[in-house]
Amino acid sequence: MADHAAHALEPNPTARAFCLTSAFWFAVATTAGLWAAGYLIAPDFMANIAYLQFGRLRPIHVNLVLFGFVTPGLLAAAFYYVPRLTRTELFSQRLGVLTAWLWNLTVTVGIVSLSLGFSQGREYAELVWPVDMLVVLVFALVGVNLIMTVHRRREPVLYVSIWYVFAAVVLTALTYALGNVIWRPDTGALLGIPDAILLWFYGHNIFGLLLTPLSLGVAYYVIPIVTRNPLYSHTLSLLGFWSLLVVYTHIGTHHLLQVPVPTWLKVVAIVDSIAMVIPVMAFLINIWYTARGKLGEIHADIAGKFIFTGTIWYFFVSIQGSVMALPQVQRITHFNNWTVGHAHIGVLGFAGMIALGGMYFILPKLSGKPLYSRFLADLQYWLVLIGITGFLVILTTVGLIQGNAWFNGETVYRVLPEIHLYYVLRLSAGLAILSGAYIGLYNMVRTLFFNPGVQA
Amino acid sequence: MIQRMTPTAVILGAVAILSAVVFVVIIWPNTTVDMTPSEIFRERTAEEAAGRKLYIANGCVYCHSQSIRAFDWGHGATRIAQAGDYVQDEPILLGSARTGVDLSQEGGEHPDDWHMAHFINPRWTRPNSIMPPFEHLGMENLRLLTRYIQSLGMQAADKRMQRQAFWKQASTKAYEAGIEANVRWLSETVPQGWRDIPTPYAASDYSLARGRMIYQGFCIGCHGPVGDGMGDAQPHIYPPPLNFTILKGRGISGGLIYYQVMNGITGTAMPYFKKELESQKIWDVGNFIAAYFIDELDANGPPRGIDAAYEP
Ligand code: HEC
Ligand code: HEC
Ligand code: HEM
Ligand code: HEM
Repeated sequence: MADHAAHALEPNPTARAFCLTSAFWFAVATTAGLWAAGYLIAPDFMANIAYLQFGRLRPIHVNLVLFGFVTPGLLAAAFYYVPRLTRTELFSQRLGVLTAWLWNLTVTVGIVSLSLGFSQGREYAELVWPVDMLVVLVFALVGVNLIMTVHRRREPVLYVSIWYVFAAVVLTALTYALGNVIWRPDTGALLGIPDAILLWFYGHNIFGLLLTPLSLGVAYYVIPIVTRNPLYSHTLSLLGFWSLLVVYTHIGTHHLLQVPVPTWLKVVAIVDSIAMVIPVMAFLINIWYTARGKLGEIHADIAGKFIFTGTIWYFFVSIQGSVMALPQVQRITHFNNWTVGHAHIGVLGFAGMIALGGMYFILPKLSGKPLYSRFLADLQYWLVLIGITGFLVILTTVGLIQGNAWFNGETVYRVLPEIHLYYVLRLSAGLAILSGAYIGLYNMVRTLFFNPGVQA
Repeated sequence: MIQRMTPTAVILGAVAILSAVVFVVIIWPNTTVDMTPSEIFRERTAEEAAGRKLYIANGCVYCHSQSIRAFDWGHGATRIAQAGDYVQDEPILLGSARTGVDLSQEGGEHPDDWHMAHFINPRWTRPNSIMPPFEHLGMENLRLLTRYIQSLGMQAADKRMQRQAFWKQASTKAYEAGIEANVRWLSETVPQGWRDIPTPYAASDYSLARGRMIYQGFCIGCHGPVGDGMGDAQPHIYPPPLNFTILKGRGISGGLIYYQVMNGITGTAMPYFKKELESQKIWDVGNFIAAYFIDELDANGPPRGIDAAYEP
């Protein structure tokens, strides 16, 4: 889309604030990830700092990428396209900006509390009760703003992107509250095995009902514009949307295939993990057919490039995920770095790439000027792509080494020296992602604030 | 059809689906899961509960699982997890990664002094470890953490802890009775058959080189770089790690060393290595200790059987 540069200024302080939020926390989050990766190589380097030791840094990293980087990035695009698609203004920019500030406050309080050791010890649900409340509040505020915007729409038909945003925001507010057991503020947990079932129902919904629908929403919006093709099929969008909601919510127990939870629940999780092919392929066929014959346009457009690449990662992560849900496979892949590889291609390769693409799509519109540097955006694209590909290869390899060695009767300790080298390689690949994050931050800040470009 | 996707339809539809699913995959199992305590269950003491809080606050759960699977071999692989093991856990700490070992049956695997040294710096007892040091928590917190860790496995752990306490007393008494008495006591704990066996394999350069590697990866933090028992962990371990150099002329056979390394010396910090080192590796490290620290080798001496096929 060559005329990308020539966009009239569309002031949208909310979308702008969410862009900056995302770019900033992306840099912080990768720094934390890199630091954590360093501890796995040299545990005595910078050791004994209570606030930063691996056990605290890891949840900081994960919460930051989820709630600091990816979600706000995807929401930034949503705050832009929901008014556009409904041909109206955002319900309240003031509320939107306030939400962005509250969002940053929430993230900051969250990571400070984690680094101080306030944690509920449940993966993806670590944040303590007061922070949980803030999270639910910010999701509610986002929801109110977007729903009210749609309420005042001048376009009768709701485009598929809006369905996804609605589902993501409303359902996440609900599952977040449920999954964090907010009615038990002390522990934020249930007792025994039911706690595990609830935790992973919620944990998987963070990917399935938050990151995935928000990402799909962005892709559904941007790809037709960039390729100037109409959406291939509305039937497929309907199928993809409803089947995503039905199927994705059932599969949390595939995280618990090897622990004593009821067998029927495992069967449901496995069957539906395979059935995930339906919503995944409904979306991908729809988007890929929309883009058919227009790869040149996609390549020429930085946003299209990020987002299309994200859809390819979506394909990989989902196929991989369905395979990982098979008990026979999971014997090898569970408990080790294979899963960490899957997590990174999902959250960064798929959702993170699309978030970056969405931001690059709206930035020129928010500033009314072309990107500060297309070159830097391309550089970021390649750094992130190389980094994440490296992660997949390295972490999958090391996961196979660990999983097969354990299966063969070797102890965890015996395998440690074998995997050391791979941890070093992972750190190196991480350097690429880290550089990408900082370059992106610089580029976005320059685009919005110190942009020498001519206003169109 | 697209026209029917009004905001109300989307939101209500989504919430309706979510509610139905929550009923099926959350509420239904919650009301039907069997919460009967398992046969090893017991309640946690106040100190153990405090230790568990530290375990949560310091993110041990990101590296340690607490759930043994049917096909596991490592730590605690003698008991497969049951739902009834977790009925007092809020939150449940199953974990999703084994960057470290499974801890569900950790109680009584080691005596307390091993854990204290290990928490202060894991490299001291486990030279290749990548676990973070937790010295910054302070001694009182490490003590509480140790109480929690020693309770993992509940009644099964208590049984192992009694065994540790019993042998801790015996080994301490022997140690305090002087070098002579201690070495005698240590030797007498080894079945006679093992004591009579010399190392059946030659102490070749290759065997010694491999033995050195194993020593550096498994033993050096306690027994020290020169085998005098002055490794980094030494100040925290009692009875302290054995000084190998005192063993010279005291009738130590390769078989005895093998047995001690294989089974460990329960009650002392000396761990068992049979899950980690296969037969040849134990003979090799034994050769290494005997050659370099004890300075007294019985490798390949009489009574010897038929030479192994691979020997030069
Ligand atoms: C970076 C990951 C990591 C974190 C965080 C971690 N550990 Fe470990 N832990 C390991 C590894 C690796 C081992 C195996 C090597 C060893 O024994 O040190 C281990 C071993 C152990 C063992 C010894 C098991 C045995 O008998 O051999 C105990 C006990 C233990 N950890 C407890 C803890 C506690 C308690 C915490 C939290 C305060 C913790 N660990 C945090 C990685 C970790
Ligand atoms: C955590 C510390 C620790 C580690 C690690 C350790 N040891 Fe020990 N070792 C001890 C202690 C303590 C004793 C017993 C001291 C006593 O009772 O006087 C001991 C005793 C022994 C003995 C008994 C000698 C005898 O006369 O019965 C042998 C042999 C031995 N260790 C070999 C090894 C080898 C080989 C390794 C590595 C594979 C190893 N140890 C690792 C602490 C350790
Ligand atoms: C500099 C780049 C990065 C490095 C070095 C890095 C490193 C790490 C490390 C060391 C862990 C802990 C794994 C373990 O426990 O063994 C982790 C977990 C995780 N990281 Fe990253 N990370 C980076 C970037 C990212 C980005 C950009 C994202 C997402 C957008 C991300 C998402 C995650 C997730 C979701 C987990 C949890 C994995 C799981 O629980 O299985 N990481 N990362
Ligand atoms: C069809 C789609 C998918 C299926 C069937 C699937 C399946 C799985 C399975 C079975 C696991 C558990 C692995 C184990 O513990 O052994 C897992 C973990 C994970 N998945 Fe997926 N996955 C899918 C898509 C995604 C997507 C799109 C994302 C990211 C947006 C994602 C992010 C993660 C993360 C972060 C984890 C790690 C959880 C942890 O901390 O243990 N997955 N997935």
